[in-house]
Amino acid sequence: MQLDISFIMTAFLEILQALPLTLAITFVPLVIGFGIGIGIALIRLYEVRYIHRVAGFYVSFLRGTPLILHIYIVYLGIPMIFDRLSAHFGWGMNSSSIPLIIFIFIAFSLNAGAYMSEIIRSGILAVNKGEIEAAYSIGMTTRQAMWRIVLPQALLISLPNLCNMFIGLLHGSSLAFSISLLEINGKASIVASTNWKFVESYIAAAIIYWGLTLIAEQITGLLEKRLRTFAKGGVA
Amino acid sequence: MIQLRNIRKTYGKHSVLNGINITVEKGDVIAILGPSGSGKTTLLRCINFLEHPNEGEITIGEVAVDCKHASKKDVLALRRKTAMVFQHYNLFKHKTVLQNVMEGLTVVQKMPAEEAREISLLMLAKVGLTHKADSYPSQLSGGQQQRVGIARALALNPEVILFDEPTSSLDPELVGEVLTVIQNIAQEGVTMIVVTHEMGFARDISNHIVFMEEGRIIEEGKPQDIFNAPKEERTKQFFKRFTNEWSYSI
Ligand SMILES: Nc1ncnc2c1ncn2[C@@H]1O[C@H](COP(=O)(O)OP(=O)(O)OP(=O)(O)O)[C@@H](O)[C@H]1O
Ligand SMILES: [Mg+2]
Repeated sequence: MQLDISFIMTAFLEILQALPLTLAITFVPLVIGFGIGIGIALIRLYEVRYIHRVAGFYVSFLRGTPLILHIYIVYLGIPMIFDRLSAHFGWGMNSSSIPLIIFIFIAFSLNAGAYMSEIIRSGILAVNKGEIEAAYSIGMTTRQAMWRIVLPQALLISLPNLCNMFIGLLHGSSLAFSISLLEINGKASIVASTNWKFVESYIAAAIIYWGLTLIAEQITGLLEKRLRTFAKGGVA
Repeated sequence: MIQLRNIRKTYGKHSVLNGINITVEKGDVIAILGPSGSGKTTLLRCINFLEHPNEGEITIGEVAVDCKHASKKDVLALRRKTAMVFQHYNLFKHKTVLQNVMEGLTVVQKMPAEEAREISLLMLAKVGLTHKADSYPSQLSGGQQQRVGIARALALNPEVILFDEPTSSLDPELVGEVLTVIQNIAQEGVTMIVVTHEMGFARDISNHIVFMEEGRIIEEGKPQDIFNAPKEERTKQFFKRFTNEWSYSI
């Protein structure tokens, strides 16, 4: 069997049409997960009464189970709950009217939130305690010290790990095909199903994922350099 | 006026401060001396509640706090009456020198940025670092960083500045510049409590010396009295050791 190079090109262009969906499945959960991550990290660090146990369970459970299961559980579980509630409150809506991508957003956000909370938590713990004391000594409240002194530095420390999170989500987005969403991976399968040139098609998809990953790494590198001017000498 | 009444602090069973009483008048410069582990740092950190005293009363100006029942509001009130200069500077690494000094004014005192900037530049001039306003702490020497720390404290115009061994993590050749800055602001009438191992410095800038050991004040008084004619045996021994160290270094 011969590799059809020209079909790789054809497939590449066609698969690119799925890029917006893949990016949506990557970015939306990244942003929502980031919010969840900060919230959960703070709840656990300050050991907020009762809910910090729930938060601990959430992180442990989601990190302890595969993403594909989160997708299935959300995809199958939420409609059940939704239909119950709908019947009970008479919303007059059926779960079948929920767009598929919503399930993916929910599952991926919950998953990303669990991982990101650990990333952010360790970033917060890495911030120099002396600076927090200095913040208190000039009269800042706990909240002011957290938002102005600790979090900016914690996020910077976490930046490489957050970039890895992005890459993980990008690659994870291929699992959305399991509930029939045609992102890059799904699109590649469809493109190949017309002429059975699966290898070519998947190579084309792989090139797109790889390219996106490289771009993400570049951007993180630049961002780090820019934000870290303070950590180096030289810029007077 | 600042009053510490019967300050007590324990870590588990270990009692570190056993009822400390100190009165500081406006413009006073108090030096706290004593052997390592005598509780000097702990006492200083109790004043702004970086450590929570178990017992006692702290009065700074019109703020009076019963330590045992101190609320968050009390703690904040005390912290807003004081400022601290740390042994390891503890500058905000992600902020420029100017931002470090402005932070307390804009965020805590809610001062408009323009006014805060003016005051901060004035303070930086006092510590001789106007030209470093836009540098980051990592770009400064230890001595310069500590002077920024002093400017940050000074900018708040607090009732008292607490110094915890401000020069002890500096290279010997950088100690002088920091001590000079502290001396200058002491002469401006800023009230200060200084924990230090620099005996000569303590003698020169303070108008009152407190000698501590094992969480107690063993002896206190005017610098010339304490240095020239200590009454307590422990104080005598302590100074003898230091004079010995001096003679070694010569
Ligand atoms: N967080 C803590 N937990 C337990 N013990 C502590 C803690 N902080 C200080 N101590 C103890 O309290 C005592 C007084 O410590 P402190 O740091 O106040 O002494 P110091 O007079 O400042 O000493 P030095 O001159 O070495 O700085 C020491 O015995 C120390 O071990
Ligand atoms: Mg100490």
